Amino acid sequence: MLNRKTLIIVKSEFMRRVTSKKFIILTLLGPLLFVVFMSSVVLIGATTLDGDSRTIALVDETGVLSDRVQALWTSRHTLVEADAGTVRQDVMDGRYDGYVLLPAAMIDDPSIRPQYFAGEGGGMSIEGMLERRVERALEDYLLARQNVSPSVREILDRSVNVEAVRLSSEGEEAGSTMSYSAIGFMMGMLMYIAMLIYGTVVMYGAIEEKSTRVVEVMVSSVRPLDLLMGKVLGIGGMGMLQMLIWALMIFAVLTFSGTVASFFMDPAALDASTTASSDDLLSAAGISMPSLSPVFFLWFVLYFLGGYLLYSGLFAAVGILVESPQDAQSLMIPVILPIVLSIMFIGPVNDSPHSTLSVVLSMVPLTSPVAMSVRMAVTNLPWWEILLSFSLLFGGFLGSMLLSSKIYRIGLLMYGKKVTLTDVVRWFRYS
Amino acid sequence: MAVLEVRRATKRYGRITAADAVSFKAHPGRILGFLGPNGAGKTTTIRMIAHITAPDEGEVLFEGRPVGAWSQQQMGYLPEERGLYKKLKVAEQLRYLARLKGVSAADSQSRITYWLDRMGLAKWATSKTQDLSKGMQQKMQFIATVLAEPRLLILDEPFSGLDPVNSELLRTIIAELKEKGCTILFASHRMEQVEQLCDDICLVAKGKVVLGGSLRDVKRRYRRDKLALEFEGEAPGFRDIMMSGAVKLLEHKDEKYVLKLSPDADAMAILDHLRASPDVNLLRFELLEPTMTEIFIKTVGAAA
Repeated sequence: MLNRKTLIIVKSEFMRRVTSKKFIILTLLGPLLFVVFMSSVVLIGATTLDGDSRTIALVDETGVLSDRVQALWTSRHTLVEADAGTVRQDVMDGRYDGYVLLPAAMIDDPSIRPQYFAGEGGGMSIEGMLERRVERALEDYLLARQNVSPSVREILDRSVNVEAVRLSSEGEEAGSTMSYSAIGFMMGMLMYIAMLIYGTVVMYGAIEEKSTRVVEVMVSSVRPLDLLMGKVLGIGGMGMLQMLIWALMIFAVLTFSGTVASFFMDPAALDASTTASSDDLLSAAGISMPSLSPVFFLWFVLYFLGGYLLYSGLFAAVGILVESPQDAQSLMIPVILPIVLSIMFIGPVNDSPHSTLSVVLSMVPLTSPVAMSVRMAVTNLPWWEILLSFSLLFGGFLGSMLLSSKIYRIGLLMYGKKVTLTDVVRWFRYS
Repeated sequence: MAVLEVRRATKRYGRITAADAVSFKAHPGRILGFLGPNGAGKTTTIRMIAHITAPDEGEVLFEGRPVGAWSQQQMGYLPEERGLYKKLKVAEQLRYLARLKGVSAADSQSRITYWLDRMGLAKWATSKTQDLSKGMQQKMQFIATVLAEPRLLILDEPFSGLDPVNSELLRTIIAELKEKGCTILFASHRMEQVEQLCDDICLVAKGKVVLGGSLRDVKRRYRRDKLALEFEGEAPGFRDIMMSGAVKLLEHKDEKYVLKLSPDADAMAILDHLRASPDVNLLRFELLEPTMTEIFIKTVGAAA
C-alpha cells in the first residue's frame, strides 16, 4: 500500500503543513488560548452572577414560618417581609423583584403549595433555594409543635456520602472513581475532537486539490489511491506531532503544577507544615491526580490512528466531490453522524462501561474509538475485547479506504454538476 | 515505430459514448495536432492516454506496451484546465511534481534552475505560487510538464493566456523539444497555430476520428476551390468571369480579389480568358490551398 510515490506525497503534505505559520502559532498558543477562553467564561459567569442580587418579598400568612425562614436565609439575594395588601403593586413598581406567598393552610395540608410570583421568571436557583428553606422551616415548626426532642432533629440531619473505590487487579484506589469518570469523559471528548478536526483538515485538502484543478496533474503521475493515502497519512502525521507537543506541554504543567499551586496556597490554611512538599500540599487540599498507565495512552494513540484513518478517508471522499466547502455540508452529514452519535453516548458508557450498549459501541468501528477511550479510562477491559474491537476498527479502516478510493477515482474529474448522495449510491450500483 | 498508438479506444459514461473506437498513431520527432469541437471526446481520449481513466474497450499502447503507471513516468501532461497548489513555493512545487514523475532530487534541482531561468521566472523561485500572475503560472505549469524530460508531451491548449512574446518563446521551446525527438500531442482550437506547428493531424467529432494523416496529405485531399487574383487596368474579361456564375466574390480590396470557384468551374479556363483580355495586366493568379479552419468546419459540419 505504501510505495515510493506515496511516501513523497506523505512527506510533502506533512512538511508543507508543519512548517506553516498557522501550524506553529496554533500548536504553541492553542493550549494557552484554550485556558484563557475557559477561564474567561468562568470569570465572566462569576462576576455577572455576583452583580445579580435580587430583593424578594415574603408574605407569611401562617404567622409562624417567617422568622424561621429568615433565620435560615443565606444568599446573595435579600429577603424582606412585606404586607400582603400592597406587595403585588410593589413588585409591579419594581420595589421588589418578586414575592413568596406562604398560605396559612400549608401548615396542615400538604397539597397546598407556597407560591413565588416574579415579573421576569424566578430562575431555577431562586426557586430551589426558597423550596429548601421553606421546607426546613416547616419541618422545624412541625417538630416543635409535637414537642419532639432536638436529638430527633440531629438524626434527621444525618447524611451519608458513599466513598467510591476503584477496584482493579493492581489493587484498590480510594476516592478516585470520580476523577476516573472525569478523565473518561475528557478522553472521549478528546478523541472526538481530534478525529473531527484532523478529518476536516483532510477534507479541506481534497477540496483544495479539486477546486484548483491540480488533481488532474497529480493523477497523471500517481494513482488516486496513492494520492488519498499520502494526504491522509501526511495530515495524520501532523496531527500526531501536534498532539505530542500538547501532551508534552500538559505533562510539563502537571509535573510543575504542585510547585506552581504552592505559590498560591497558604500552607497554614491547609493544616500542613510550612515545609510540606508540593505533593503533600495538593493532597492536603484534597486534589488527587489519578494515574493512567502508559499502556492506556498507547491504546489511546492506536485508537486515534485507527479512528482518524477510518474517518479521514470518508472526509477526503466528501471533499473530492465538491468544489467549495459550502457544497460539502449536506454530503458531510452521513460522515459526521456516527461521530456525533458516539459522543452522545459518552455519558451512558461512562456510567456503565460493561453494559451491552457499551460493548456494542466498542465493536462498531465508527463508534469504537470514542467508546473505547472512555471505557479504558474508567475500567479494566479483558484483553480479548480490546483486541477484537481494534481488529474490527482496522477492518473498518480498510473498508473505508476501499470505499473512499472508489469515490475519489470517480469524483476527482467531475466538475460543474453538484454530486448528491443518490449519485454516489448509483456509482456503486453500476459497478 | 509509433511511440503512441491508440487502438479502437472506447469510453462510455452512462449512455453517452465519449470516445467511440478512436484510433490513431503519434510518431517521434513529430507534432500531432489533436483537433475537434468542444465535447468531441478530446479530453476523454487524452485521459486514457495519460492513464487517468481506462478505456472500456480497445487499448492505448505506449512504445508497444499498454499504458500504465510505468508509462505515466514517460509522459508530460499539460491539462487544459490548469492547476497548481496555491500556497506552495514555486521551486518547491516544481520539485514535488518532478519527484512524483521519478526525477531524482539532484536532477530536479538543476533542471528547475535551468527552466526557471529559460522562462524568465528565476527570481520567483521562492515566491508562493499564488503570488504569480496568470501568465507566469501558465509558464510554471509548462515547466512542470517538461521537467521529467518526457518522451510524449501532451499539451492541451498550451498557448491560452499567454501574450505574443511568451507565445513565441513557447513555440521555440516546443520546436526544440520536437527536434530532440520528443513526440508531441497538441490539442487546440486555434487553427492557425495548428497549421504553423503540426506535422500530422487527427480530427475527432462526436467521439469518432473523422479525419487523420499528415497535414500536407489532408490538405491535398481537398480541392483548391479558392482563387486569389490581382491585376491592373480595366478588366472587361474579369467582368465576364464574374457574370458567368463560375465564381463568387469572397473578398475585395483595391485590385486584389479572392474568389470562390463553383464546383464545376474550370480554373485553367478562367486563366486563359483573363490572359486573352487585352487590357488586363495580370499580377497574381493563385489557387489557394484550403485552410485548416475550412477543413475543420467542412469535416465537422459533415459529421454533425
